[in-house]
Amino acid sequence: MIKALGYFLEIIKGGLITVRHFVTNMWFHTLKVLGLKAKRRGAVTIQYPEEKKELAARHRSLHRLLRREDGKPRCVSCLLCVTVCPSECISVEAAEDPDSEIQKVPAKFIIDLSRCCFCGFCVEACPEDAIRMDTGKIEVAEYRRADLIYDLDKLLK
Amino acid sequence: MPKIFIDDRAVEVAEGLTLLQAAESVGIPIPHFCYHPAFPPEGSCRMCLVEIEGLPKLELACSTVVKEGLRVRTMSPKVVEARKSVLEFLLAEHPLDCPICDKAGECKLQDYFEEYGLFKSQFKEAKEKREKKFKLGRNLILDRERCILCTRCVRFLNEITKTEDAGILNRGIHSEVGIFESEFIDNNYSGNLAQICPVGAITDTDFRFKTRVWFLESRESICPLCSRGCNIIMDSHAGYPRTLPTRRVYRVRARQNLDVNFHWICDYGRYGYAYLDEGREDRLVWKKGDRETRLSWDKAAQILSEKIRSLVHLRKNSRIGIVLHTNLTNEELFLADRVFRKGLGVEKLFLADPPPGKGDEFLLTADRTANRRGLQEVGLPVQAPDLKALSGLDLLLIFGHYLAAGTSPSDLKNALEKVETKALFASHKSGLDGLVDFVIPVPVIAEKNGSLTNIDGRVQPFVAGLSFAGDGIAEWRALLDLARELKVEHKYFSRLASPEAIYRALRKEIPFFK
Amino acid sequence: MDIVIAVIKIILALVWFLVLTLYLTWLERKESAVIQDRIGANRANIWKFRFLGLFQPFADAIKMIFKEDFVPAFANKFLHTLAPFLSFFFVAITICAVPFGDTLRLGGRTISLQVLDLNAGLLFILAMLSLGIYGIILSGWASRNRFTLLGGIRGAAQLISYEVALGLSLIGIIMVFPSLSLQSIVRFQGENILGFIPKWGVLLQPLGFVVFFFAALAETKRVPFDMPEGESEIIGFFTEYGGLKWGLFMMTDFMEIIIVSALLTTLFFGGWQVPWLAADGFHWPWGGGRALPHGVVVLLQLLAFNIKIVFFCWLQILIRWTYPRFRYDQVMDLGWKVLIPLSLLNIVGTGIVMGFLK
Repeated sequence: MIKALGYFLEIIKGGLITVRHFVTNMWFHTLKVLGLKAKRRGAVTIQYPEEKKELAARHRSLHRLLRREDGKPRCVSCLLCVTVCPSECISVEAAEDPDSEIQKVPAKFIIDLSRCCFCGFCVEACPEDAIRMDTGKIEVAEYRRADLIYDLDKLLK
Repeated sequence: MPKIFIDDRAVEVAEGLTLLQAAESVGIPIPHFCYHPAFPPEGSCRMCLVEIEGLPKLELACSTVVKEGLRVRTMSPKVVEARKSVLEFLLAEHPLDCPICDKAGECKLQDYFEEYGLFKSQFKEAKEKREKKFKLGRNLILDRERCILCTRCVRFLNEITKTEDAGILNRGIHSEVGIFESEFIDNNYSGNLAQICPVGAITDTDFRFKTRVWFLESRESICPLCSRGCNIIMDSHAGYPRTLPTRRVYRVRARQNLDVNFHWICDYGRYGYAYLDEGREDRLVWKKGDRETRLSWDKAAQILSEKIRSLVHLRKNSRIGIVLHTNLTNEELFLADRVFRKGLGVEKLFLADPPPGKGDEFLLTADRTANRRGLQEVGLPVQAPDLKALSGLDLLLIFGHYLAAGTSPSDLKNALEKVETKALFASHKSGLDGLVDFVIPVPVIAEKNGSLTNIDGRVQPFVAGLSFAGDGIAEWRALLDLARELKVEHKYFSRLASPEAIYRALRKEIPFFK
Repeated sequence: MDIVIAVIKIILALVWFLVLTLYLTWLERKESAVIQDRIGANRANIWKFRFLGLFQPFADAIKMIFKEDFVPAFANKFLHTLAPFLSFFFVAITICAVPFGDTLRLGGRTISLQVLDLNAGLLFILAMLSLGIYGIILSGWASRNRFTLLGGIRGAAQLISYEVALGLSLIGIIMVFPSLSLQSIVRFQGENILGFIPKWGVLLQPLGFVVFFFAALAETKRVPFDMPEGESEIIGFFTEYGGLKWGLFMMTDFMEIIIVSALLTTLFFGGWQVPWLAADGFHWPWGGGRALPHGVVVLLQLLAFNIKIVFFCWLQILIRWTYPRFRYDQVMDLGWKVLIPLSLLNIVGTGIVMGFLK
C-alpha cells in the first residue's frame, strides 16, 4: 500500500516537472508575443532558414579544390581520394602535364555529391592539400541529380 | 650437394647456386633490387647483404656462391642495420613522389622501406634535380630522379635483346641511365623494361597515369596473339572504384615460364589487348530478311539443330559445312571433330585463319593464331575455304570472323547468298555479320576455360580471367548443346560437361595429349 | 419550429465539436512543444501569415483529404472502409447528450442548451463509447494483417476491462445525484454545501473521480494506455490505413478526449455551473449578490463549460506527454486489480455515508 502510494507520489512529481516546464516556457513565450524583453527564450529551437547556426571550425561542408600560385589546380590526380572514398563518389582522370615538375594533372575531377557521405576521408588522404571541405556551404540540394555532379570547374570556384 | 645453414636452418642446395637463390629456394626471401634471375648478378644495389659466419664484413647474397658448411644469417641486427643504411642512401636522392608514381603499390623500394625503414631522413640538403620525363623508348619514359641505378634495364638490353641500346653514363653522383646517340629504344621487347624496373623509373606510356595498381586484379592467362603461347598476367579492373573503369584490362604482364617465354613477352602481345573490348559482338541475333530478332542461345540452338536434323534426315550430310579457325581451344576442336565429322558425318571442314604476320627469332612467331598445332594434333582434316565449295552448301556453321579476310566482299556475298542457313559464331564484329542468318557472340580466349597447344607442342591449360558479358555462349558449350539437341551419341557427350571433362576425353583418345 | 431549432442545435453542437477537435490537434502539438522546450508546428501559413501555426490543422486536413485512399489488396474492402466511419460515428453521436448550458429564453421560447435531454443520457454516452470498440476490432480484422488484428484484440481487451471500472465508478455519482439525465446531474451541482461550497461531484465523490479519470484515460487509448496503437513502437489496429480514413481514427481519438473532458466536467465539476451563479445573477455566500441579465448568465455558463472542458483536454495532453507507456500486464492489473476494487469500495462507502446522513 505504502509502495503504491509512493508510486503515485512519484507520478504526481513527474507530472509537476512537465507542468513546470509548461508554465515557465509559456511565460517566456507570452512575454515574447507581447513584445517584452525576456531573460531567455521559451524554446531552444533554432528556426533554420531564418536563423542559422554558426558552423564549427572543423565542420565538413562542400568540397573545394585548391590552386597553386599560378592558378593551376594543386591536384596531381594521385587517386588516393578515389581509393579512400567509401561511397565511391569521386572519379579522377589523369593527364600528362608538360611541366616535368608536376607531371600528373587531373583532366577530369568529378565528385558526385548525390553519393558523397561527407566523411572527409578525401581531405585526410590528399598528400597535396588539394581538396578541402571548408567552403561553409551546407545547403547542397538541387532539383536534378545531374546538378549534384560537380566537375573540376565547379570545384575550383 | 653442399649443405649450408641459413638462419640456423640446415639446407641442401644445388651446386653453383648463389646464396640468394639458395635462400629463395627454401622460402627465405632476401631483399634485392638489381638481382634478376635472368641475368648474371651485378651487385650494384647492395640490398642483399647477409652475414656469413667467420667473415668480418657483410657479403652480397646475390653473388656469393654456396659452399659446403656456410653459416648465413639473413635477419641478424647487423644485416637489418645494413639494409636500413642502404635504403637511406637510395632514398637520399629519391624524389618520394609515390602519389604520382605508377609503380606505387608494387614498388620494391616502397615495400622494403615499409619493412625495414620508416626512419626519418638525416639528409638536410636539397635533392638533386634530374630529368623526370626522358623519352627512353617507343613506349618508355625514364624518370632519372626515381632511378636507383640497378642496371636491370641495361642488362636486359645487353643480354636478352642484344641491342645494347643503353648504358650507365657519367660517373659518381652524375651517373645515369642513358641511351646512345639519342636513338631511343625501339624493339619488340622494350615493354619488358617497365616490368623489370624495381622502382618507378621506367614507366610505360600505355599504362602511365591510367589507373593505380591497387585497383587492379591480376589474372593468369595465355597470350593468344601468336602461336608461342606466352604465359601472361592480365591486370584488369577489380570493380572498385565504380567510377574509374574505361576498359577491362589495363595492362598485360609477362608471367614466368622458363619452358615457353622465360620472364618476357613481346610488345605485340603486351600492347595488343585492345581486342578484348573493341568491336565485340554482344547481341545474339537472328536475321530474317530485314528483320533482326534477338533471341536466347537455347532458342537459336533449337532452330539450328532443327535445320541440321532435317538435312541429315534427307541424307544431305555432304551439304553441311563447318568453317573453323585455330584460335579455338583443343577441347573445342576435338568437340567439332567428334560432333560433326564423326557424329554427323560432315566432311566439309574448312579452316579460315587470320593472315600470318612477321615473326622474330625470339618469342613472336609468324603464325598469329594460338592453336594451329592443336588442330594438327587433334587430327581434323581441314581444307581452305573455297568459295565455290561454300556456295554449294545448304547449311554453314562459321566459327570466327576470319572468313571475311582474304576474299573480296562481293565474291563472298555471292557465295554465301546461295547457302540457305548460315550461322556465325564470332567474338568480333566483321563484314560477315551482314551476310549470315545467325550471329552468335562467343568469348575470346581470355574469357573461357580450356587449353591451347603452342608451336612447340606444349599443351597449356588456362582458366577464364575475364567474365564474358555478351548474351552468347562459349563454343565448346555451343557444340555440346548442338550435340544434345541432335541426339548424337548422347551417352558420350553427356559426360563432357566441362572443358576439364573434355580434356580428359581428349587425353584418353588422342595419344599426343597424354 | 421545434425541428428548425433542433437542427440548428445539432449543427451548432457538431461544429463546436469538430472545430474543437481540429484545434485540439493544434493544442496537442503546441503543448507538447512547450513542455519539451520546442516551438511546435508554426510553418503553415496563408500569404506568409502564420499566426502561431493556427492554420496547421487545416493544412493537415487538406493533406489527408487529398492523399490516395489506399486499401491493401488483401483487406476486406467493405469492412475496411466501414471501420473508421463506425468509430467516428459512435463518438460523434455522444455530443448530443452533453448539456452545454441551462435554458435560453428567446422570443418567448425556452430552449434547452442541449441537443437532446435524454433521461438516461449517462448510459447513452457510455453505451456509445463502448460501441466504439467495433470500429477498432473491425479495422484490425478487416485489414487482414496479423499485427493489426493483434492491435485490435489488444484494444478490445483493454476497452472492455476499463469499461467495467468506468461504469462502476459512476454508480456513486448516480447515488449522490439520483438521476441518469446529465442535465439534472448538472442542476443538482448548482446547490451549495454548508451554504458556500459548490456541491460539485468531485467533492462528494473524490474516489469515484479518481477511478473515473484513470478509466477514462484508458478509454481514450492514448499514452500511457496506448496499447492498441502504440504510435512509436507497437503496430496498431490502423496500421493499414492512410489518408482520410486514418484521419478519422485520429479525430476519433481527439473527440474521445473531448467527450471524456465533457463527462468529467459534467459529472464532477459542475458542468456549466459557475459557483454562486443562479439564473438571476450571483448570490454571494457572504450575503448580497449581483443581478445579471439573462443573456449574460447564459454566456457565463457557456464560457464556464468551455473553460472547464479545455482545462481537462489540456490536462489529458499533459499526461500523454509526461508518462511512458504501461506494460500490457500493468494495464490489465491496474484495470482489474486496482480500479475495479476501488470503484466497488467507493459504492460501498458512498452507501454507508448516505445511510448515516439520512
